[in-house]
Amino acid sequence: MLDTAPAIFVALEGSGLGQMIRQSRWLYMTANVGHIVSLVVFAGAVAVLDLRMAGAFAATSPGYVLSRARRAAIWAFFGLALTGAVLFTAEASHVIMNPVFQLKLVLIALGLLNIALFEFFTTPQVKDLAPLTPLPSAARRAGVISIVLWIAVAICGRSIAYF
Amino acid sequence: MKPLYVLLTVLATAGSATAHHGWGSYDAANPVTITGPILNAKYENPHATITVRGTDKEWTVTLAPTSRMSNRGATADVIAKGKTVTAIGYRSTVEKDEMRAERITIDGKTYEMR
Repeated sequence: MLDTAPAIFVALEGSGLGQMIRQSRWLYMTANVGHIVSLVVFAGAVAVLDLRMAGAFAATSPGYVLSRARRAAIWAFFGLALTGAVLFTAEASHVIMNPVFQLKLVLIALGLLNIALFEFFTTPQVKDLAPLTPLPSAARRAGVISIVLWIAVAICGRSIAYF
Repeated sequence: MKPLYVLLTVLATAGSATAHHGWGSYDAANPVTITGPILNAKYENPHATITVRGTDKEWTVTLAPTSRMSNRGATADVIAKGKTVTAIGYRSTVEKDEMRAERITIDGKTYEMR
């Protein structure tokens, strides 16, 4: 493990953008609030999607729930990434070395991998199923893994400040 | 479930890296008071910081988010290099020579940081 941050993160923090974020009265605060709002929307959408795949709300059409929840989740994810980038830039050289932040990045990558595998292999099997049809075990598994991963990501996110 | 175990393990073992938010890593049982000139002021997010030449050593004093400080009148002009400040707060249990101010007094005015 490195002792000091790679130069690119030092440069990012020291850049005009980094300076602007740190010195603006509103930017950091707005990004912070925006990150939480995006998180709430993302968590809501992902919870609906994951719980449906895990077997809840069985009387709904899986394809319909999937497509609507996915749309909200994608928008919210972009909100999270954008506001997260602002918060990260302000303190890039410190945050990148934070073990909890590093874990968070790994968990996000696993969460996205889970989504990619699900969309590629499982979505085609479930999107046209009628309500009340039992879902394949792959769908249940993906739903449970997803919910655990994203909750862990949120725990890491809030914990960065304390490690 | 594996990621959760990994997470818990890291949370349990990841010692004290670069913590600077929250009040957990400060020795609240033993408040300290530092008075001296401001050598350097960073009016920046997420927390403003100043370096102060105390009687014993140079301290890095962590203040509050800039928007809160501005709301309370502690603007960048107030927290400026060269001014004399009295900071009451707590020593960091992690960073040597760092303290977090509960309140500061400059030019006879006291500003709450929490």
